[in-house]
Amino acid sequence: MDMMISNLQQQRQVTEQLRREAAIKRISVSQAVLEIMKYITEHEQEDCLLVGFSSQKANPFREKNSCTLL
Amino acid sequence: MPPKDDPELQKLRKELDDMMKKIKEEQDKVADKTLQDICGDMADAPKVRLTTKKLLKGHINKVNSVHFSGDSRHAVTGSLDGKLIIWDTWTGNKVQVIPLRSSWVMSVAFAPSGNYVACGGMDNMCTIYDLNNRDSTGAAKIVRELLGYEGFLSSCRFLDDKTIITGSGDMKICLWDLEAGKRSLEFEAHSGDVVSISLSPDSKTYITGSVDKSCRLWDLRDEKPKQTFFGHTSDVNSVCFHPSGYAFATGSEDKTSRMFDIRSDQNVATYCPPNSTSGFTSCGLSFSGRYVLCGSDDSSVHIWDTLKNQHNGCLTGHENRITSLSVAGNGMAVATCSWDNNVRVWV
Repeated sequence: MDMMISNLQQQRQVTEQLRREAAIKRISVSQAVLEIMKYITEHEQEDCLLVGFSSQKANPFREKNSCTLL
Repeated sequence: MPPKDDPELQKLRKELDDMMKKIKEEQDKVADKTLQDICGDMADAPKVRLTTKKLLKGHINKVNSVHFSGDSRHAVTGSLDGKLIIWDTWTGNKVQVIPLRSSWVMSVAFAPSGNYVACGGMDNMCTIYDLNNRDSTGAAKIVRELLGYEGFLSSCRFLDDKTIITGSGDMKICLWDLEAGKRSLEFEAHSGDVVSISLSPDSKTYITGSVDKSCRLWDLRDEKPKQTFFGHTSDVNSVCFHPSGYAFATGSEDKTSRMFDIRSDQNVATYCPPNSTSGFTSCGLSFSGRYVLCGSDDSSVHIWDTLKNQHNGCLTGHENRITSLSVAGNGMAVATCSWDNNVRVWV
């Protein structure tokens, strides 16, 4: 960690900030990751990179053969 | 400037070290399990099948930045050829070409509404263009020139049509009221260039990434960060909020991508490519957050399963460094741009 401390004022501010950050409430990694996992699982069916397109018609990037009104 | 052995300064330095140690202790206290412990039993994520559906040619120099509009259809790119191009990614057509006053563009942003785009770079300013109003030459009208930066504009993001947040080489973050044309906030955010900004899904907070190797979480209206995340061993080049709002992903010069969890305040996963040769310039997450995608100096996009920490493959096609990556809001496509002058839409 590289911090440029050029004077006392700045140094005091940096320490105060760290003190604030040290005092925050932290939840357990297990609970945190479980909730991320839950979110991902709940949204998996809408994630095209995971489940692809339901049909070619649902893919707006497909090559279109007929004329479309843009 | 007090002498080096000034007792007050030494006392403060010791306090700083003690605080850093305390933070590490508090983080370790809550690190009861690893990602592997919790997600190890999950089924492997399928191999991502993305190919270049659109190869967007038009720029005649390096393309530095790409960003999707809120409609997940249009995207804006900025290139050293001095142009912004607005693309219809569904057809590959150029919708607008905007000539810039300065060709040194490094960052572009599309307002979620699709009404405005912003760009800036080594001209040390951020220019806002109205896509629905043309000037006398027929190009999109400049509605605002945001000045006063003491460093290059590295990143910008619209909160809405009236508000934009910027990060710059002078280590600052600025929040601008575009109606008034004035800064609402301006403050030093890092001890190095701010190079990336990512807004939370609820737009109430944002993450910044910096060359000072750290990332910070901010409340929109505050000038002091809520949290600082350490872990990367070199410049953080890109940050991306996880769609859950609970975490964020990063891409770094240190050749890794990482997942930082906000509520346990730590680096919960480090994603390494099979051959660590190049830094990552950009990153994005899929719609659910299951995949992280990083654009690399090695010309490819590396993909990982974020939960099982498995490298899922690479998207190859670009012939030079990928500078920027944008995932469409509906998760259907990924746009990348490169020093090879091209833009690719992967679907």
